[in-house]
Amino acid sequence: MICATSGNRSGAGDDQRDMRWQTAGPWLATGARLLVGGVFLVAGLLKFPDPAAVERAVRAYRLLPEALVPPVAFGLPVVEVAVGLALLAGVFVRTAALASAVLLVLFLVGVGSAWARGLRIDCGCFGDGGEVGAGKTAYPAEIARDVGLLLVALALARWPASRLALGVPVRSDDHEEYVDAR
Amino acid sequence: MPADTRRTKRDRLAARRAAEAAARARAERRRRTVLGGAVAAVLVVVAVVVAIVVQSQRTATPDDAATPAGTVDGGTAVEVGAADAPVTLDVYEDFQCPVCASFEAEAGGTIQQLVDDGEVVVRYRPMAFLDRASSTGYSTRALNAAAVVLDRAGPEAFTRFHELLFAEQPAEGTAGLDDDRLVELAARAGATGDDVAEGIRDREFEDWTATVTDAASRAGITGTPTVLVDGVALDPGQLTAEGLAAAVAAAG
Repeated sequence: MICATSGNRSGAGDDQRDMRWQTAGPWLATGARLLVGGVFLVAGLLKFPDPAAVERAVRAYRLLPEALVPPVAFGLPVVEVAVGLALLAGVFVRTAALASAVLLVLFLVGVGSAWARGLRIDCGCFGDGGEVGAGKTAYPAEIARDVGLLLVALALARWPASRLALGVPVRSDDHEEYVDAR
Repeated sequence: MPADTRRTKRDRLAARRAAEAAARARAERRRRTVLGGAVAAVLVVVAVVVAIVVQSQRTATPDDAATPAGTVDGGTAVEVGAADAPVTLDVYEDFQCPVCASFEAEAGGTIQQLVDDGEVVVRYRPMAFLDRASSTGYSTRALNAAAVVLDRAGPEAFTRFHELLFAEQPAEGTAGLDDDRLVELAARAGATGDDVAEGIRDREFEDWTATVTDAASRAGITGTPTVLVDGVALDPGQLTAEGLAAAVAAAG
């Protein structure tokens, strides 16, 4: 029901592997939820105490017109927290995983374009103001982290059923939404 | 035979009822999912709007925010040197920034010399964005103190105070210089009196520190030290005494 093990092969070995996947898969999904959800929750919360710094960080990418800088700087953390809470609680897991994947793609575009344009900025991912000391950028590490999280988020969107989730599948045999229906 | 038929019929009926009940339960769960999703989406949108309003208010500086006397360029810069000097240096620094301290130690004397020779006019554009690097918001406290010194004793005293602060720059992660020490250094730079101490302790120009930091961000400054020679930023590799002198010579 959860795992992508092939259904048309048989044999004792495959059956055992299927069984193992059925046990381990949901726990892996729980781990993915905690990882992606935890990172998003922390990243969002750290952006609340110093909104001016987040504003500077968003502006530093030089991608948005000035009028859009404050709404993005102040609204994005709320979305990050919402996605993080949904993943940690295990409700709307598929939607939240897809939303986190979309956000990560946007972050990757931002960081990648800043790198490509030769800007010297910090990603501002965790509430910093986007400023760096001379020649202290960390683009490869930032991109590697976001790509890793993106892969985990996509896997979670594909196989969202997990343990320790508040929400339960609407139908366990398909990919419908998960909600707290207990 | 009739009994068998009846039982089969009854079984079929029961199976159909069970299937219908299951379908109803599924539909009900789906309805709740859609409803829950709609409620959650509305809540997120409301929270986003509230956050934008609240944070905009928190970042807005009051219109009557005090600007220190002796500033130029809309209150964002401290000008040192002859205004008609052939080359203008814009120097963006944060008192908590270690690279700024090493730049000042390395090239501060050269800048002073260029000013004294009438070759450059320096516009110090201080920023305070490294409050997280200390436990007491030292970045803002130090810049506020510098603003008090400027306001009470002028740009020359500001320059001396600025040198003293970089010479005594606290390590990152510490509490930084306390207000008493800032008052002492202000006196050494030439700003004395009760109202200097008061301005430092009461953070008289705290709003101004936010204003200049924001202004630098809007000017595209994303790191310190940033030095512009006639408006063109030096590369990090040029931030040495020789690099600076060469760039000024080329511009002049």
